[in-house]
Amino acid sequence: MTAEATQLMERYVDGDAGAFRELYQLLAPRLYGYLVRMARDRAVADDLLQLTFLKVHRARSAYVRGADPVPWIYAIAHRTFLDEARRLQRAVVSVSKEEELPEVRAQITGEPEGADGPQAADPELARAALAALETLPPQQREAVVLTKLDGKSIAEAAEIAGTTPGAMKVRAHRGYVALRKALGGPE
Amino acid sequence: MKDGIPADGIDQTLIDLPLPPPPPLGDELAAELARLRPVRARRPLRDLARVGAVSLVYGAAVLGLATMRHDGAPVGLLVGYAAIWFSGFASLLWLALVPRRGAVMPRWRAAGIGALAASVLFVVAGFALDGQGGPGSAELGLQRLPGGHMCMGLGVATALVPVVLGALVLRGALPVGSRWAAAGLGAAGGSLGGLVLHLHCPIVDGWHLGIAHGGVVAVSAALAAALASRRLQ
Repeated sequence: MTAEATQLMERYVDGDAGAFRELYQLLAPRLYGYLVRMARDRAVADDLLQLTFLKVHRARSAYVRGADPVPWIYAIAHRTFLDEARRLQRAVVSVSKEEELPEVRAQITGEPEGADGPQAADPELARAALAALETLPPQQREAVVLTKLDGKSIAEAAEIAGTTPGAMKVRAHRGYVALRKALGGPE
Repeated sequence: MKDGIPADGIDQTLIDLPLPPPPPLGDELAAELARLRPVRARRPLRDLARVGAVSLVYGAAVLGLATMRHDGAPVGLLVGYAAIWFSGFASLLWLALVPRRGAVMPRWRAAGIGALAASVLFVVAGFALDGQGGPGSAELGLQRLPGGHMCMGLGVATALVPVVLGALVLRGALPVGSRWAAAGLGAAGGSLGGLVLHLHCPIVDGWHLGIAHGGVVAVSAALAAALASRRLQ
């Protein structure tokens, strides 16, 4: 993904709008997954994704040729989430579980209610994992989403979140321990 | 096990979670794309050279206006300390502007740590060099700190240009860590200010050197972090 993203970014900086669309197709699914899990609201995540790519577009002259744009774009998504979360406190304020969980479940799988879509190997465990993920504090949730769901290394996740690898490792570990506890596994 | 995090069934469950389909490109973005023009990508080493060169010319102009010191200080001492100030300026500017190979974002953490280290070192060094090879504030009829505000002002004014130019060059490059990178830029500018002060001001008592000269690095770093960081995001 890195080499392809680099190539697309270079063509985009050179004025190729098609390259931007390809870049969007390449990165948007993962970024959207990250934003949905952070914002816990699909409508907010929609806006955040558009805002993220708008910021990428407006800051494209900050790109360095030959560099991997993915951590930078993720960091823009992280910053966009933080800024919007501060502005729209309601996006991150939990409501009661009865109201929230069914809606969140539908949002996170990305499927409209009742629609058939891709499912995890064990839907029951997946639902429980998602619900548990929801309960984590934002920093731990971000650490788990980046390192587990997105497959980023601790160093990459730290770079995206603007923290040290040590702090990211602690957040990921604590988040992971909390997840296991919530799912009834050994601590 | 990956990065110290134990792997088990939950790992696979998380990896297997289906990704939600993203929305299509928004109208605002599509409209901007319709007007897409090529832009010049950032070239960090060229930017470093340009910001460094313009800042040095500006520093020389400030020194020209403020006048060079004429206290007969040994050339070796003048050049030696000037080289230390200059290396502070160059290395901090490099950390703040140039990313590691293959990265878009500069080394903001290193720049921030460098700013902290330089702030402490230049203040401590100023106190340590008390009275070496020149007059103290009292001998020139000045009080220690009130007499130092002119130097502090001159140093911070000198720091302004590298900070502004650096912020322009890094605009949009640092969605995270911008405060640290801005502190690095400020400390670089403060080091240039310290260099100008070293070549302008003959006072060598510890309070003056430590607070009014060395303190320029810390003050410039703090001001840049507070005022310029949003520009880098």
